[in-house]
Amino acid sequence: MRKRRILLVDDEASITRALAMYLTENGDCEVCVENRGSRALAAARSFKPDLIFLDIVMPDADGGALAAEIQSDPALKGTPIVFLTALVSRRETGGATMTIGGYPFLAKPVHPETVLASIGEHARERTN
Amino acid sequence: MTAAVASSVLWPEALIDQEILAGGLALIPALMLAHYRGWRIVTVLLGVGLVALIVMHLSPLLLGVSLRGPFLILFVVAPYISIALGAGWFGEVRRYQAELRATQLQLIQSEKLDSVGRMAAGVAHEVKNPLMMILTGIKVLAKRLPAQDEQTRLLLQDMEDAVERADRIIGGLLNYSRDRDLDLALADLNDTIERSAMLVKHDLENAHITLVSNLEQGLPRLQLDEFKMQQVFVNLVSNAIHAIERDGEIRITTSLEKMTSGALVGHRKTDRFSRGERVVVVRIEDSGPGIPEEYLEKIFDPFFSTKPTGRGTGLGLSVSQQIVEMHGGTIDVGNQDTGGARVTVTLKVDREETPS
Repeated sequence: MRKRRILLVDDEASITRALAMYLTENGDCEVCVENRGSRALAAARSFKPDLIFLDIVMPDADGGALAAEIQSDPALKGTPIVFLTALVSRRETGGATMTIGGYPFLAKPVHPETVLASIGEHARERTN
Repeated sequence: MTAAVASSVLWPEALIDQEILAGGLALIPALMLAHYRGWRIVTVLLGVGLVALIVMHLSPLLLGVSLRGPFLILFVVAPYISIALGAGWFGEVRRYQAELRATQLQLIQSEKLDSVGRMAAGVAHEVKNPLMMILTGIKVLAKRLPAQDEQTRLLLQDMEDAVERADRIIGGLLNYSRDRDLDLALADLNDTIERSAMLVKHDLENAHITLVSNLEQGLPRLQLDEFKMQQVFVNLVSNAIHAIERDGEIRITTSLEKMTSGALVGHRKTDRFSRGERVVVVRIEDSGPGIPEEYLEKIFDPFFSTKPTGRGTGLGLSVSQQIVEMHGGTIDVGNQDTGGARVTVTLKVDREETPS
């Protein structure tokens, strides 16, 4: 089975760098990073991810609007998206699966093990 | 009174009865004070007395005979009644001044909480991102670390703990900036308390503390945001556990009561409860050392904590107060006569459902 293709969209380069490192070294993942929200759609079209981790609050784009754009794109329709957000605390989620706009989310600061588990849970399975 | 004065003006010869006039004048403030204090029977009696004085005053003119004899006692008692009621009134004024001060302090506290909330919303996002970077970095390094490097592993663990601690503080701060709407539903307060107790069961057992519940059955169901109220009771019991430290007892009682007195009881707009209003009262008492007097005034201040560094954010009571007040209730902290702290949560029984 091929590696899972994960797109990380977050304006915090330090976060995406560290997370990409962790996922590459500890998960069976191929990671693409995009730190500019305005270029996330193009990055997704070109990378064709199995799962997108998407920051909600970015200086040049709104994560919610981006998610809608991705889902309305014929080439990307159905691509799973998990929001990363600092707007909700981890304690508030109570460990239960919660969603924002129908998408699951992870509350920052999120443990990279949780990110890995989320990939296992949400990433699209592809055989080709 | 108006009639008496008018008659004196209209019939100057009536003024000769100075004693009657003095008695009448002394009765007027007494009547007003009795009315102000809500003493209906006294008001009626004094009113009757005043009317009697007017009749007596005018009797020579109207009836041709003097009726002053039987009413002489009024001249004697009226000034004393006035003085007694006046003294009571001044006491009342002092009480209202104290209540006003308490209300002002409460407003200042609310404003302080709002400021913290606004600040929290601003900084939380900025702080959580670096925390995530640090946490992820720690995990990357921990994975790369040779198994035998135990000291570095401990160092990384300490760093991770520090991140968790910072996250807890930010999480607590965010509670202030949350939407203040409550998710209200009719709920059994006793059930809420019991569920909260389950959440701290482990901590109670670890500290060898017995939780004694004396919950009044058949309480009216209240409009509660159960999740938030659970947070309150978990906070309060956790505080009690920390106060006791080890080997002790925490008592939780609930009861249906009527408000009779207190800083926020009355008929003014700023009063939270009206006299005689039914309330459900929760008392949480612990066998700890109690709270030093000098701490009681600032116990609800955000970040005020008597716990050792790292064990408390100093936000538990502030958050609890905010939640209880959102429910239209009050929370008070004090000491028991026998030692140990007592927290009293008072909740309104409006929009209640008849107990089944």
